[in-house]
Amino acid sequence: MLIETDVLIIGAGPAGSSAAKHAALNGADVLMIEKKSEIGAPKRCAEGVSKDGLIELGIEPSSRWVTSEINGVRLVSPNGTDVWLTEDTVKLPEMGYVIERKVFDKHMAMDAARAGADIMIKTLARGLERKDGHVIVKAERMGEEFDIKAKIVIGADGPESRVGRWGGLKTAVKPKDMESGAQFEMVGVEMESDTALEFYFGDVAPGGYAWVFPKGKDIANVGLAVIPTLTEKSAYEHLLDFVKNCPTTKNATAVELNIGGDPVGGILKKIATDNVMVVGDAGGMVNPLTGGGIISGMQGGRIAGQIAAAAVKDNDFSEKRLAEYGKRCKEEIGDSFNKYMKSRDYLESLSNEELDSIAKVFRETEFEKISTSELLRVLVKVSPKALLKLGKLF
Amino acid sequence: MKIVREWCMYCGECAGVCPRCLIEVGEATITFDESSCKDCEICVQACPVRALIKEE
Ligand SMILES: Cc1cc2nc3c(=O)[nH]c(=O)nc-3n(C[C@H](O)[C@H](O)[C@H](O)COP(=O)(O)OP(=O)(O)OC[C@H]3O[C@@H](n4cnc5c(N)ncnc54)[C@H](O)[C@@H]3O)c2cc1C
Ligand code: SF4
Ligand code: SF4
Repeated sequence: MLIETDVLIIGAGPAGSSAAKHAALNGADVLMIEKKSEIGAPKRCAEGVSKDGLIELGIEPSSRWVTSEINGVRLVSPNGTDVWLTEDTVKLPEMGYVIERKVFDKHMAMDAARAGADIMIKTLARGLERKDGHVIVKAERMGEEFDIKAKIVIGADGPESRVGRWGGLKTAVKPKDMESGAQFEMVGVEMESDTALEFYFGDVAPGGYAWVFPKGKDIANVGLAVIPTLTEKSAYEHLLDFVKNCPTTKNATAVELNIGGDPVGGILKKIATDNVMVVGDAGGMVNPLTGGGIISGMQGGRIAGQIAAAAVKDNDFSEKRLAEYGKRCKEEIGDSFNKYMKSRDYLESLSNEELDSIAKVFRETEFEKISTSELLRVLVKVSPKALLKLGKLF
Repeated sequence: MKIVREWCMYCGECAGVCPRCLIEVGEATITFDESSCKDCEICVQACPVRALIKEE
């Protein structure tokens, strides 16, 4: 069997669905394949998104996938000193929602289908070769092997990011840039507020942080991410320790376990070559400090879809034609990532004691708004070490 | 040789860090192209649930 299409998208996460939707809207013949039997499940995500991000993408929040609305943040240092930033005390909040990825991802795929994209589930891409200016992708569905011939392939295969490598891009994630995540969805979580995201820093999660993201009065995603090269323990072992020792979660019960990698090395230098582009996690479109990649992945997907469709119209799938994609992603998504990367390095360098003393100063500081960059701006003011390392950036 | 323990959750993190792109993760399958494996154990270290071990 041979299937032919203009644009083939491999992976139906948010980035893939966004690429599929925008390629189809711009007139291309689009097929998206997904190896799993259910788009969106299991999730590899804490499910936090910003309101501004959804607005920018033109996505109307739906009660089907919004589980809770967030209007505050609680930062907790290793000795338990906490800093509250809430809508009452801070102006201009840049806040968001905790969503249900299993439902959200499926709805994004449905949007792509409504725009005209075809979708094949339970279909695994296994390899790729170029032939006469086209690409042949080897695929397998329920024991049946077949080829898909496409003009352009968009690798949206998440942290695995193998499609790009098949196409000659360097998408392997360096061990020091791959956060290893583990999370329970829990019930019986005793949060002080069910509308605030909680972040825990220090030894609880070397190289990353731990989080409690509320999904209901006593329901939350409780997880953490670590850089495996910085710790002897696995992410899961760190999670068990955290849940047992954290006052918020010590009486809670897990109803789901999620694990997964999160590439935090920033957007890759090269994300397009002849006939092949990568989007989302596969292209490193993740905020290196927060690990958030839903919105940026979908922004990358939109750009990739538009450019792929335009290239199909021009009948030119060369690296030269697709180079515009890398340029636009860097301008529209990647610019801010550099400073977040430096901030991540800085946070990694802080001891538990340094974190405690910063938290103490933060408690007495008035913030103007809640955003990652505002927090870092204040950090630079209160910590000489931060000033030294980050002063020029914020 | 790699041994995959039964609690592997097919999250694909190992596949993303393998510098030689030797790991294929399906919905509920994981296979290694052992012929080119250099036993660097990067995949073993990355696994969030320690589901991979190297068999001596
Ligand atoms: C623990 C954790 C917590 C996180 N929390 C947040 C958060 O709170 N907010 C946020 O914004 N981001 C968060 N992220 C990051 C976010 O989950 C990702 O950035 C986002 O899912 C990326 O979307 P994507 O479409 O690029 O990839 P994915 O969502 O990973 O989708 C890739 C898809 O490709 C499929 N696929 C892979 N290989 C193949 C193949 N060969 N053939 C067919 N299909 C294939 C996969 O099955 C998958 O469905 C978190 C990540 C982790 C690990
Ligand atoms: S990282 Fe671990 S759990 Fe995930 S697919 Fe690889 S072996 Fe399985
Ligand atoms: S040991 Fe190294 S080369 Fe072999 S599969 Fe694991 S990461 Fe790849």
